Amino acid sequence: MLEAKGLTKRYASIPAVEDLSFQLLTGQVLGCLGPNGSGKSTTVKMLTGLLEPSRGEVLFRGRNIQDDLVGYRKCLGYVPEEPNLYPYLSGLEYLEMVATLRGMSRAKLDHKIDELLSLFSLHPHRHASIASYSKGMRQRILLIASIVDNPDLLIFDEPLSGLDVTSALVFRHLIKALGEHGKAVFYCSHVLEVVEKVCSHLLILRKGAVLAYAPAAELQRETGKSSLEHSFVHLMEEGDATKITNDIVEVMSAP
Amino acid sequence: MTVSSPETSRWQAYAELPFFRLVRLFTGRVFHGGGEPEAEELDLGLGAALALLALPGSFISLLLFDKYGSLLRLMRGQTNFDVYAAAVPDEYFFIVFSMVVTAAIVTWRWDSIFPDRRDYANLVPLPLPMRQIFLANLTAVLLLTAVFAVDLNAGSAVLFPIVVSASQETFLFFGQFALVHALTIILASVFSCLAVFAIVGVLLSVLPYMAFRRISLYVRGLILTFLLATLSTSFAVPGALRGAGKSAGLIRCLPSVWFLGLFQWLRGRASPAEIHAAKLALAGLGAALALALIGYAVSYRRCFIKIPETVDITTRNARRLPRVGALFDRVVLRDSPERACYHFVLSTLLRSERHSIVVAAFAGLGVVVASEMLVTAFTRGFNRGGTPSAEVLSVPLILCYCLLVGLRLVFQMPAELRANWIFRLLLDPGKPPGRTVARKIMLSFVLPIAGIALPVYVAYWGWLVGFLHSGIVIVWSWLLIETLLLYFRKIPFTCSYPSFEHNAIVSVLIYLLGFYAFALLTAKAEAETLAFPAVGILLLPAPMVGWWILRGLRRDTPEIDQQLMFEEHPTTGFELLSLNE
Repeated sequence: MLEAKGLTKRYASIPAVEDLSFQLLTGQVLGCLGPNGSGKSTTVKMLTGLLEPSRGEVLFRGRNIQDDLVGYRKCLGYVPEEPNLYPYLSGLEYLEMVATLRGMSRAKLDHKIDELLSLFSLHPHRHASIASYSKGMRQRILLIASIVDNPDLLIFDEPLSGLDVTSALVFRHLIKALGEHGKAVFYCSHVLEVVEKVCSHLLILRKGAVLAYAPAAELQRETGKSSLEHSFVHLMEEGDATKITNDIVEVMSAP
Repeated sequence: MTVSSPETSRWQAYAELPFFRLVRLFTGRVFHGGGEPEAEELDLGLGAALALLALPGSFISLLLFDKYGSLLRLMRGQTNFDVYAAAVPDEYFFIVFSMVVTAAIVTWRWDSIFPDRRDYANLVPLPLPMRQIFLANLTAVLLLTAVFAVDLNAGSAVLFPIVVSASQETFLFFGQFALVHALTIILASVFSCLAVFAIVGVLLSVLPYMAFRRISLYVRGLILTFLLATLSTSFAVPGALRGAGKSAGLIRCLPSVWFLGLFQWLRGRASPAEIHAAKLALAGLGAALALALIGYAVSYRRCFIKIPETVDITTRNARRLPRVGALFDRVVLRDSPERACYHFVLSTLLRSERHSIVVAAFAGLGVVVASEMLVTAFTRGFNRGGTPSAEVLSVPLILCYCLLVGLRLVFQMPAELRANWIFRLLLDPGKPPGRTVARKIMLSFVLPIAGIALPVYVAYWGWLVGFLHSGIVIVWSWLLIETLLLYFRKIPFTCSYPSFEHNAIVSVLIYLLGFYAFALLTAKAEAETLAFPAVGILLLPAPMVGWWILRGLRRDTPEIDQQLMFEEHPTTGFELLSLNE
């Protein structure tokens, strides 16, 4: 469904993402991992069409997304990393605005938004201004906004940040269910446990380049590690976390 | 190598004390907005802001050389010139100017002055006594009051006495005049600053916090309208004060008149009424200071300390009149993006305080100027049933012009810029609904004015005048909207600030000329047409020519300049510091 072919993004000749290629098929949940500055956000922005690649292309159903960006975005649901919303609108007004921008009919959007607000436990707060929402509530608004029009492709950039335990649990199951219902999901996160549980495939980035791209089980087998966390640390070749922790405590308690 | 002296080191040590760091924090954000990356506050910087504040007073003083220069007076044959009497109206203007600008700044920035939820989150967890935060904020408030008062009046405090004493031979005259003038206008500034603080403090002390937030916008609107009215009547007040009767008595209740009394008293030329006014000025100053301090202390205790207990929830009722809304959407707003953007823009205008205040200020300006026109019309006789005068006809045109220019300006001000990603993601840049939405929003504000004007003009001057005038208001407003939106290719509030243009002064002049042409000239031409219908034949082609020119300009605009934009200056993902250069 979605294919990245040799995606490269350079900012003033400095590469942020270099020659990135992968495929996301229908029903797949592709987890994208990487440390800070690895190029995850740039990749997501290129996949959503918010940023044009310096080289390479993003294909959606075989067509370059830049050829029909509007058509592509009609099939795309996106949750950005930061819950930037208009604080003076109410949750309901924001969702109505998004649904209207997506071209949904009044009757359809009223019904769907109402149902989703109830399911995400936001119905009692629907008329309150977003300024009064907690981070988790804002995140839930973004999640509803991304799925309200039943898109075929979903891109989630750190969707769990700020969510309470119940909502996070619901969302974890939702991602799996979306995959099973034939949606393609690109899922960016730092939470390895969740990625391990919900993603069928993994894409690991480091310094803008692909470090690993394989089915989750295969990756674990190849690295010979018992969990994704260990595989990730092994692949990153970064310092020993236990040693770094001990060093921090030492510096902290030094006179 | 720089060697710091013990005094410098001691000063640096003082500056690093928590109290002074807090004072710097509270004062700095008045000039620098929220200080957040990509924040949509207009960040001027301390130097630029202070320089801008000092400029108008200096400029106005220099313009008065024409009045006080002895050579120019000699050339005009004015041999009998009483400089004391001549200076009174100008002194009154400077008093009003200093009061209005100071109060307007405090009204505009009061959210940045008082500690808020963000301060609570950042400062309270630190090992700082609450008293220290309170005193630091209070010190910042008083410091800012002093800085604004001195800076705003610095130019005129020096230049105006120089101008006035240009024809005087003694330095003593200059010295005395300068001292009295500086003291009066600085005290007037301090008074108006404290008065606004007192209003905010008292309201915060008396009302529940959420109720205060709800009425805050209306209070600001009222204050701004009062300030505009005071400024626009400043030329008439000194003359009216000379008269006796009820109106002079009412005018003496204005704080600006109290300070004029103080000025006269300090110069030793005060009448009994002016001495009374001077006493009122001093009493008012003391009362404003006391009320501001008490109000501030009580509101700090009531609001800041209890921030965690208050939930910042603004709950509105469910949509009213859904059927009317749906019908409006179906008939007026053609497609989904247009519908979404229209509701977004309207909500922003009505709910974002910064945007509402700017629109309210322009509307207030319109109301003040239109009121003056109405007063002039009344004094000249209303001529009911006959032909309305140009002043009467200009009223809705003035209101429309001020509102439209205000709206056009406010469309440039971003609201929550980082949230515009949703528009970037979902809108077709090739078919931007921005101009259509902006046009419909502007019409939504202007059409009610024409709608209200119609029955009023029909009732006073008959059907012909009523319909003709409402028609002219609508056609002219439509042409003005098209002109204002000629190169507009944004969704209002979703684009970063345009840079300060080099031709800003030219733009202001064009808007002033536009006002003259749109409101005053049109009204005059219309009045002429009503008196001599043959003139109307000459006026008829004007809107058609205007429309034809606009059409041509739009057709010639390259396609790239019609595409939707979200950034005036595109940002790169990261920035090269070039540290090795």
